[in-house]
This record gives sequence, C-alpha cells and structure tokens, in this order.
Amino acid sequence: MTSSIELPHFLIVGAALFALGMVTVVTRRNAVGILMGVELILNAANVNFIAFNHFVEGPGKITGQVFSIFVIVLAAAEAAIGLAIVLAIYQTFRTIDVQETNLLRE
Amino acid sequence: MAEAPSNLRVYLVRLAVIFAGLLLFAGSSIAHALGVLPTGLTVAAQYFGVMAIVWGLNGFFFRTVALSWFTLPVFSAAAFGVLFLIGYFVQTVAGPFLIDSTGRFIGLVRLVDLIFYAFAVMTLGGAAGCAFSRNIIYSAWSLLFAFLGVAGLYVFLGADFPAVAQVLIYVGGILVLILFAIMLTKQIGEDPKLTNAHLALPMGAALAAVTVGTLAYMAVMAPWKITPAPSYQPVSAALGTAFLTDFLLPFEVASVVLLAALVGAVIIARKEIKEHLDTVLE
Repeated sequence: MTSSIELPHFLIVGAALFALGMVTVVTRRNAVGILMGVELILNAANVNFIAFNHFVEGPGKITGQVFSIFVIVLAAAEAAIGLAIVLAIYQTFRTIDVQETNLLRE
Repeated sequence: MAEAPSNLRVYLVRLAVIFAGLLLFAGSSIAHALGVLPTGLTVAAQYFGVMAIVWGLNGFFFRTVALSWFTLPVFSAAAFGVLFLIGYFVQTVAGPFLIDSTGRFIGLVRLVDLIFYAFAVMTLGGAAGCAFSRNIIYSAWSLLFAFLGVAGLYVFLGADFPAVAQVLIYVGGILVLILFAIMLTKQIGEDPKLTNAHLALPMGAALAAVTVGTLAYMAVMAPWKITPAPSYQPVSAALGTAFLTDFLLPFEVASVVLLAALVGAVIIARKEIKEHLDTVLE
C-alpha cells in the first residue's frame, strides 16, 4: 500500500498545529486555555517526531516513537501540575484570568 | 385515454418501452465506446432512449403528468441533461481519483490520501476551534477532535502504540482533567464571551501565519534524507525492548517525574494544607 502522502505533508500539519497552539498560548486570558495551547504544541512536536521516525529514520528503528512516548508522559505530568496550580490560583484570587493574577502571594 | 384498455396490457406496453429505451441507451453507449458510432448519432440515440424511458416511467409513476408531444421531449431533455451532468462529473471529477494516466486502478491509494486529508482537517479544525472559540467549554471539546485527529495521523505513520497511548492519555486523561479544571473554576455559565477572552488576537494570528509560513517553506524545500521503504510493522514489542535497554535511565527518570508530579499536584491543589500552614505560622 503506497501513498502519495510524503514527509512534508505531516510537517506542514505539525507546523499548523504548533502555530495554532502558539496563538492559544499567546492570546488567551484564561489559564486553562493557555494549558490547552501547551497541549497542542506538544502534539505538534509529537507529530514531527513520529513523522521523522517513519520517513527518515527507516524501518526497524523507533527512537522517534520512544521520544514521543516521553513527550506524552511529560505532557501528562505538566497537565496535572499546571491544573493544580490553576486551582490554587483560583482559590486565592477567585479568578483565573492571567491579566489579574499578578501577585505571588496574598 | 378515452377508453381505458386493460391495465395489464398498458403496463406491459410501458415495460416494453422502458426496456427498449434502456437497450437503446446502453447499446449506443457501448457502440460509441467501441468506436462504431459517431458522437452525434450516439447523443441522438441516447436522447431517444431517455425519451422512451421517460414515457414508459410516466405510465408507472407519473400518472398525473399528462405528457403531450411537446412536454415529452422537454422532460426527456431535462432528464438527459441531468444524466449527462452526472456522467461528466463521474468521468472528470471522480475519475482521476480512481484511474491514473496509464489506466491502472488506483482507487485505494487515492482513498488513503483522502483519509489523510480527513484526519489533517479534523486535527487542524479542532486546534482552530480551541484557539478561536469564545467559550472555554467549546475549546475543550474541539481539543477532543484535535487529539483524535493526531491519533489518526499516528496510525497513518505506522505508529500503533503511540496512537493508542494518545487516545488513552490525552483523550482519556488530560482532556478529562482540563474539563474538571474548567468545572471547578466556575467560569462557565457566567458570561460566555468572558470565559475565554482573547488578548491582541490579530497580532497573534499574524504571528501564527508567519510561523506556519516559515515552517512550511522549510518542510517543503529542505532536502530530507527520505528512507526508501517506510515500514508499517507493529512496534509495541520493539518499544518495550528499547525502554528496557537503550532508554532505561530516561524510563526510570520518567517514573520519578510522574511520582513527583502526582505528589506535587496533590499538595498544590489541596486547600486544607494551606490553611493548616497558616495556623501553624500564626
């Protein structure tokens, strides 16, 4: 089963995913929205890892996929810690608007 | 019909006319494809075939429509035009997806390409919904489509284990965690326009356009060393071996990181601990 979909197709999808995640991180005022943008960026990195693993690294080698698994692990840890911080911020300030949370302690 | 003949005979006549029209249509088409019949005669014969079919069908289904010597050719022309447009569409629009220039059937390959584009559109549409939606709940739900689309792209790349891990961890874990955080921070239901407000969105969109343009240019123009035959073998066993041999130290460090994240998240998010510390400090 051959396909005319090559490496650049996946790289462009990854680039667009990264750009959309970056827009989310840069422009959101909601802290949870910013965390969603970070997840999108990590997914874009994963798409690139696995695309290079498939098209460049060659058959029988899976280093790219190993790295993608590590990225998924760290994304899970990041989401848990980040959302815990968001909840702590909400308990302190009663808002999670990042424009208004400008103090490190009450 | 002034004096109604027996219904059976009428039906048989109509049926025979329909059959003759179908024969005329198909026969002229085949003759044209074989090169026997010139195009003008073919079109005329097909038109008469369609006219016969219309007249025959009129006896079965369109009993209320009174077809005269004038309306019958007009209706037949309309039906012939519709058939012609359908044939033209199949031949020139759908045909290139099925037959390549040398006449081989390549429908499966094109179908695979279409599936890739479907997953790409699903991913980017979900990401765009996450980036531009004004309600945080809608952002979270469109993130679901982005994650599922990325999992489909992994399957496309022959990465079965990362695809399943993507569905289990992102969709089943992180997305649920995000939805919990949204619910717990009570941001929904207040004012949907304020739950997910933007800050300088045009500048952000311009930044994204520049980024994706640069990266896409690099992706297309760079001389990648493409391997000749990418494989679609299952990778789970090889991944397990790699984790326990070549990547043993990162594997153990990742487990420590996960434990630290677990403990840290519990400590940060618990309210009682902070109050307890305040009383201790006082």
